[in-house]
This record gives sequence, structure tokens and C-alpha cells, in this order.
Amino acid sequence: MAPVPRPMPPEPEEPDDAAPPIELSLSGPERSVLGALRATGAMAVEEDALPALTGLALEAVRGALQRLRSKGLAVVEEEHREELRVSARGELARSNGLPERRLLRALAARSTPMGPEDVASEGLEGEARSAAIGILRRRGFLAEGIPFRLRDGHPDPAKPFPEELALDAIHAGGPAPEAAAVKDLRRRGLIDVDHRSTKRWQPSEEGRRAVLLDDATLVGSLSTVSLRDGSWRGREFRPYDVRAAVPYVTGARPHRYAAWLREFEEILIGLGFEQSEGPLLETEFWNSDVLFMPQHHPARSIHDVFGVVGVDGKLPPPELLERVAAVHEGRPLPGEATPITPGWGAAYDPEVARRLVLRSQTTSVSARYLAAHPKPPFRMFSLDRNFRVEAIDATHAIDFTQCEGIIGGEGVSLRDLVGIFRELAEAIGIRDLRIRPSYFPFTEPSVEGYVKHPRLGWIEIFPGGMFRPEVLRPLGVDVPVAAWGIGVMRLAMVSLGVSDIRELFEDDLDRLTGGAR
Amino acid sequence: MPRATIPKARLVAALGRDLSDADLGDLLWPTKAEFDGSDGGSLTVETTADRIDLLTESGLALALAPRTGGAHGLVPISAGTWSGPSPEFLVDPSVAPLRPAIAGVVVTAPEGRPLDAGLLDEAIRFQELLHATYGGDRKRASLGIYPADRFQFPVRYEMRPIDGVRFVPLDGTEEVDGRRFLDTHPLALRYGPYGVSGDRMLVLADGEDRILSLPPILNSRTAGEARPGDSRLLIESTGSTVARVRETVGLQSLVFVANGWSVVPVTVAGPGAVGGAADVVAHRRLDLSLGLLDSLSGRTYTVPEGEHLLAECRFGAHPVPGGFSVLVPPWRPDLLTAVDVAEDVILARGVRAEDGVVPPSPTRGRRRSETLFRRNVAELLLGLGFAELYTPMLVGATIDGLLAPTGAIAVANPVSELFAHVRNRLLPSLLTSLSHNVRHAYPQRFGEVGPVVVRDTSSETGARTAYKAGALVAAERAGFADGAALLDYLMATTGATGVREPIELPGTIRGRAARVRLAGEAVGEVAEVHPSVLAELRVPVPVVWAELDLSALWPLVRRADAD
Repeated sequence: MAPVPRPMPPEPEEPDDAAPPIELSLSGPERSVLGALRATGAMAVEEDALPALTGLALEAVRGALQRLRSKGLAVVEEEHREELRVSARGELARSNGLPERRLLRALAARSTPMGPEDVASEGLEGEARSAAIGILRRRGFLAEGIPFRLRDGHPDPAKPFPEELALDAIHAGGPAPEAAAVKDLRRRGLIDVDHRSTKRWQPSEEGRRAVLLDDATLVGSLSTVSLRDGSWRGREFRPYDVRAAVPYVTGARPHRYAAWLREFEEILIGLGFEQSEGPLLETEFWNSDVLFMPQHHPARSIHDVFGVVGVDGKLPPPELLERVAAVHEGRPLPGEATPITPGWGAAYDPEVARRLVLRSQTTSVSARYLAAHPKPPFRMFSLDRNFRVEAIDATHAIDFTQCEGIIGGEGVSLRDLVGIFRELAEAIGIRDLRIRPSYFPFTEPSVEGYVKHPRLGWIEIFPGGMFRPEVLRPLGVDVPVAAWGIGVMRLAMVSLGVSDIRELFEDDLDRLTGGAR
Repeated sequence: MPRATIPKARLVAALGRDLSDADLGDLLWPTKAEFDGSDGGSLTVETTADRIDLLTESGLALALAPRTGGAHGLVPISAGTWSGPSPEFLVDPSVAPLRPAIAGVVVTAPEGRPLDAGLLDEAIRFQELLHATYGGDRKRASLGIYPADRFQFPVRYEMRPIDGVRFVPLDGTEEVDGRRFLDTHPLALRYGPYGVSGDRMLVLADGEDRILSLPPILNSRTAGEARPGDSRLLIESTGSTVARVRETVGLQSLVFVANGWSVVPVTVAGPGAVGGAADVVAHRRLDLSLGLLDSLSGRTYTVPEGEHLLAECRFGAHPVPGGFSVLVPPWRPDLLTAVDVAEDVILARGVRAEDGVVPPSPTRGRRRSETLFRRNVAELLLGLGFAELYTPMLVGATIDGLLAPTGAIAVANPVSELFAHVRNRLLPSLLTSLSHNVRHAYPQRFGEVGPVVVRDTSSETGARTAYKAGALVAAERAGFADGAALLDYLMATTGATGVREPIELPGTIRGRAARVRLAGEAVGEVAEVHPSVLAELRVPVPVVWAELDLSALWPLVRRADAD
């Protein structure tokens, strides 16, 4: 698709005394084209003929003509016409005969009337059949009724039909004899109409008077060669129209959501959090089991997480697997006498544990971190992507960013979690924060922080809670741990004033470059 | 989140006061339920997955009563009286492979207040909700409600030959045989597999061998239909585990206990019996220490405050040294341990944003060095005029097909063809963005530093996450040299010089594609995009692509002291 040209700058309202003579402003192609127009005398020249007269490419000719016109040195007349052309169907009709001719031939060759099946056997079906019968009836060839037979006293079948004459004439490139026949052929799709326009140019009065300077007199673009050899000396510089449009130049700007994420990362680091990362393709063990999500939890059904095809996962180390299985089944941890929980009342299935999913929550990163660093204190964050099966709409995306964080150590409590929520909200300019109860299988108590969006109202953004003992004990953690998994995309929507989450993936160049295009 | 629509009039009657929509919204805000709108005489309520008990008007009224001047404390479960044959399930071992667990109670109406249409409607609505949630769409558990006055115990739970089963379905008027029922009834077509094995099907039949139901499909009309006016009902649940059937019976009983009905457990007996019965609908005891409350909440609780809050939560509380002995109702299967009780207390007191604290951090904040490396590369791309992108990682089947074979991992259950593969290069995402910008003028330069997933059989997950820096130049004279120069420059900023070797890459022009290696490791790719790809994307100018694998490059260029 051709780029959209920027509009020409407006013409000055008064004569500009500072403007140089117009002849100096003419480029080489403009001089060539104006010269060619003047050479034909009073006759206007067709645009398409100018490349041959000037030796320039058609695009260059057209550009020069537009500039000459804008400078008032050339004028144009445009003629629009219709050209008739036999279509592919029409060519077929010419070689095989129009349907009515074919039917007439068939009737003339037979001694008996033709039934509908006989007509069909002549290759006349559907629209062609209807047209043939209708035309022959109107022209008096057919008797009434079915089967079809020639009427007594019918016209001479050897005489060409007007449509046949018209079709041949159009094929030959000449004018068609009958307008009615042409109309019929168009209606039947046997001819096409091409709309053509012809532009004819001639110089204006001023264009005829303008002095055409040659290249030897004027300097166009300065070059290293002309600087080196001094060939610019003694010549005039061709002035440019400094008001003319120039090519676009754009720079690159940070993607506003990516930049916002980098800023958010800085805030967390400033609060003393250490960054961690984890795999985007996860086993169900780390994505769910280790977080005490029952293996038959609805959120693990195919409606919520994405599975993958053709990749196999592996189980975690047997000791860790056994500890997690024990809490799921309500058994004591290895080496202990009493269960810490009644569990989920169902057998733990290792085959579920090694199934692979696209990570649905960055809490799996927290679990991996705790497994590797069970000794406190710790403040960890991970700002990364997750995937969930969702109906994509203004506040839900299937590929979304989550900020996972944990604070662990003696004395850590829900107040610390709420304090972090408030701190993060205030750091990005959000003051309205409310907390209400929530539920996650791996935290208890669980809360959700709501912030106020100017258009969407209160939206939940800060989910979190205290990790349950069923999560911490198998990982060897014996201090309280507060955890959260912030939906940063919604937070970004509030912060950036965006009402549709899909805008955070914007890739339109206009918006990416700040509208400078 | 689970949701239900309940009749407003019944909630108002249970609460004993009228509520506007605004009142209800305010009342529910500090709970796990959320008011989601009203329509005429109905209210829609949504809850978290652990509080299904709030999705019935009786359960919601119980929870809200303390806040509206109503009752506090534990809802008593009165033990009814029973005369006649002992309420008993006789379980045949034949059910074990299919659906071994069964539990049930008989509930009896208070004097002069038999079952009415409203209560029956509530019970059935709640039953269906439990089927969908705890029951796993009846696979793990399913419930039935039966008129205990009109059949005889013991109730037999067994498998019977399909051909020998005849009953009148609850929604029918004529007797049908088992085979025809299974082959034609919509519920049988959907749930039949859970109750059929070979040529036999699950049956619940009473002491006079009248079929009560065909679990988990449908009750019978003749002996299994509860109706307004009934005074005694059997609530039963069959399923795959004892825990789940007990949970569902406990939850279903809420509707009746909240309305003053008494409860008698049904004994589970017979050679196929699993699990007991006596406490199937009974309060459970959990001990809660003040220390746990204080440590979880970060605040201090006194004994009187704790008692008051436990009563607000509709628990029974008895002070013991260091805390409380707490009785919790059977419709709260979410209360596994003391922390669950503690949560209810903490949330009942309220959690306010202004109560949060931010103690000094005992740790120093730190970004991973590799993350800093990636950010630096992203800034370099920006400085070179590449508009920064942040694109989805799931890419379309069509664009992946244009570049196939890519080796990208396919999503098993994509929401649409547009998100069918997990990208293993940034190229498909970059090309997708390019195709979104064909209405803009050229040149166009895009860049992104982002994650991809590549297959790796040595990894625990069969794949590894890698970060790449990718760029596209779409311009009148864009060519291989532009892409190669970009990669050379980016690597030079790390002090590295790679070696290019020709490769063939689908979707690119043969003879104009290269892999870049550093110390023998593949760290980059560069190529001119094939015009057939550009034609499909309607891009009218040549395009060159370059991509640097930052995860592969990092170990080769990092400082020795970087993490």
C-alpha cells in the first residue's frame, strides 16, 4: 500500500518578495517536462506520452507535472471514458455461440420438439437456459408451451442477432451498433466496462514565458565531489521551496508498558527485594501441588490452564515429592508422628505432578525460591509472564504479567503484606486502596487489595496472604512468609490511565513513536 | 468464581429485615461474598471457591445475621428422634470400582413447618451448585434428596443389571427401562458413564425394593420425589471418596439446619461400606491459639475479643489456656486447621489498608545481573531507532505456519488459532506487529527483548525459558547487511565478536540467512525474510530480521563476579 502523503503546505496569501525567480526553483525533471510541453505548440500532451518525449520514468514525469502545476506553470484537462471489453464468458459465448443461438441451432436441426432434458443435453442449464428460451420466445422463434419447437412463420434463423453483432464489434475494438444490445450484454456479464481517464497537459501562460535554465547554470545538491573540485564556483544554487513537505523522520521511544514494568521493578528493589526468575513452562508439581492446590481443584481443569503438546516433564527430587504428597493425603511428614493437616482426602497422583502447563502463576517461582533458600530472612520478587485460559476482554488477558513477592522471617504477618501493598500503590501514585477477604488454596488468611480505576471502578489488583503451613513445612521453611501475586497489568492500567488491557500490548507505530508519524 | 442467583424475598425473610442493593453491597464487602447485581426479585451473589455456603439464602443469612442485629454463635444441630427401621445404607461391594463412597442424613422438619416450595427450591438450587463445584460436575460426588416418609429403610446401594432396571424418571410420567433411559435421557447421556459399568448400573433402592434413584443421574418419581408438605427427607451423596461425600452432605444440610430441621445420620453398613456415619453432619472441633492469631495478623487479640469474633463467625468458642476450643459447623469443609479458623477471625475484625506496616528491610534489594544485561541491550536497540515492542508470547498458527517448521511448542487447548503456539523466537511476534502497521509509511524498525520457550529434553520441564533480543528493519533497501551489522554491534558492546555461518531457515531467503556463533555456541540468527511471507502479511518492502539469544550469550560474556 502506498504511504499516505502529507498534505502540501498552504499557498502564501501575498507575493513573497524574498522568493527567488521561479525559473531558479525548477529541478531538472521539471525543466525537461516543461520543455516537452512547450515543444508541442498549442496541442495538449497526454501524460502517458511524456516519458518517451523526456526520457524520464513515468513516476518522475508525474511528480514533475504536479510540481509544475502547483507552481502555476502547467494546466491539466482530465477526460473520463468507458471502454467496452469482451469478458471471459463473452469470449466463450463468441466461440460456442450465445445460448439462444445454440438452442435455435438445435431446434432447427431436429424434426421433433425438444423437452427440458433435451435442452439440458445441449449444455443449456440454469441461467443460460432461461435466457435462451426467453429471448427466442420474445423474438418469435418459439411456439408456446413445452416441449419446445419452432413457431410457424418464425424469423430467419440465419440472420445474426443484435447481441452477436455487438459482441463481434466490441471484440474487434470498434463501436457497438446498438445500445440496447450493449445493455443486454452487460447485464448478462458477457462484456466488461473499463473506466479510463486521460490527462492532457499543456503549459500555462506563465509556463510558456518561463526561462528554462540548463544544468550548467545551477547547482542542485552539493556533493563531496563538487566541494572537492570547486565546480560550484561561478554557478547559482537552485533554491528549494523551503515550505514544501519533507520525508518523515521518527525516532524510537520506550514501550510505555515495558517502561512502566522497569519502573515498578526499581520500586521493589528499592524496598529491599531480590529478583528471581523461573521457567515459563512448568510442571504441575511446582505450579500447583507444592502450593497445596488439590489435584482435583477446578482451577487446574482444562478450562483455566494451558497444556502443551509433545513435551515431557520430570518429577522433582523424591524426598520433596514425598513431603508434598504427605500433606495432600493428610499423612505425617516423614520423620513426624502427627499430620499437620487432614489434607484433601484423596490419593496424590505423581502423574499429575509431572504434567506440563504454561505457568499460571508466578507463585511457583516463590516455591522454587523457598525450596532453594529455606533460611530467613528473605524478600524476593519476580516480575514475569503467566498464562491462563480466559475470555479476552478489557480486563483479562491470556498472557499476563504478575508480580510475585514474598517476605519471610520471624514476626512477619499480614500487616507487613498490607503495608507492602500500600507502599507499592503509593509509589505509583495510587491513594485509594481497600482490602477485603479473598481465597487462595496456598495462603490463609488471604486478602485482596482493590484500587480505584477512574472508569472501571474498584478493581482487584493485590491478592496475597500468609503461606499455609502445608506449603512451608514440606519446603523446610519454619518462619511465617507473606506472599502476593499482583496483577501488574491492571495496576499499570490504573497508573497509565488505560481502560483496556489489550492496549498494553500496543504495537501501532503511531502510538509507539508518540504520534510523530 | 462460583455464583448463584437467589430470591431476594427469601433472604429478607431469613434476615428479618429488608435490604437495598447498596446495603447488601456494603454488608458483603468485608466477607468473601460479593453482590453482583439484582434483577427484579433475584439477587446474584459471587463468592470465593471456599465459601460455597454463602451461595444459598439460608447460608448467606446465617453469615450476615451478626452484622444485622441477628443471632451470633454456633448454629445448633438438633438430633432428631427416629422410630422404625434404623436409617441405614446397605452397601454392596459391587459399587466399589465405580463409586464406593456414600453418606447421608435424615432431616426432620420442625413441628408445624413441613417442607414448603421455597425451601425445596433452595435445596435443589444448592444441590446443583454443589454438583458443579464440590462434586466436580457429579464425577466426584452427587447428591439426592428423597421423601423419607414415603419409603422404607434400609436403602440398598448396589449395581444391578441394566436390563432389569425399570423406573419412572423424576421428570417423566411413564416407566422406562434402564437401557432406554441410558440411551435417551439427556442427564443419562451426560452422567451415565459415572454410574454404569459394562451391563450394570448403580441403583439406590429402598427396603421394599422401590428404586429411589440411579446415581448419579436422576431420582425416580414414584419413590424419590421430595414434595412440599414432606416432613422428613433423606439427603444422600455418592461419590469417589468418603471425604467428598461427607463434605457435600454437610453443605447440603445447611439449608435445612438453618431452618430448624433436626438431623439423624444414616449408618453406612453392608459388605461394601466405606467410612462411618455418626458425625457426618456434626460440629467439628479445632483448637485456636491466641499466639497464632497474633502472629498471623500482626496484632494482639484478647480473650473476650476473640470470643466475640468467633461468635460473629458463627462458631462455638470455649476459652482454654492459651486460646480457644472452637466448634465449627459441617458446612464449612474449608476449615481444615487452626489457620483457617484464624483467618475467619482476622477477617471478621477487618483488615484495613491503613493498618499495614512496612518494617525496615533486613535484605538489600538487587536485580539479577542478567536482567541488567538484557536491559542494556534493550536500550541499545532503542538508541538505534528500533521502536520497542512488548508482544504476547503465544503466536498464531498462521504465522507459525509461514515460518514452519519452527519447533515451537503447541498449546494443547488454545483459546483461538491466534494463540496456538509458544514462540521459540521473537520473529513471529515481530512479523505480527509488522503486519499490523502496513498502513504506515516505511522505513519501519521494531525491536524487542523478551522471553521465548525452547525445547530442551535435559530440563525438568522438557524446555527452557530463554531471553532474546530481536529486531526487524522494513525498508526500501533493507538487506542482510543491515541485520548482520546490528548483531555485530550488539555483540561488540559486550566485547565479543561472533562468527557467521550460512544456514537455511524456513521463511527466509535461501543464501541470505546466517547463524552467529561465539566460542562455538549459537548466539544469534539473521536473515532476509522471504517475499512469500511478506506477501501473506501484505508488507510491501524488503524486511531483514536479526535475533540475539541473550541467555546463550550471557554466560559467555558475563563477568566472573556476576551472579
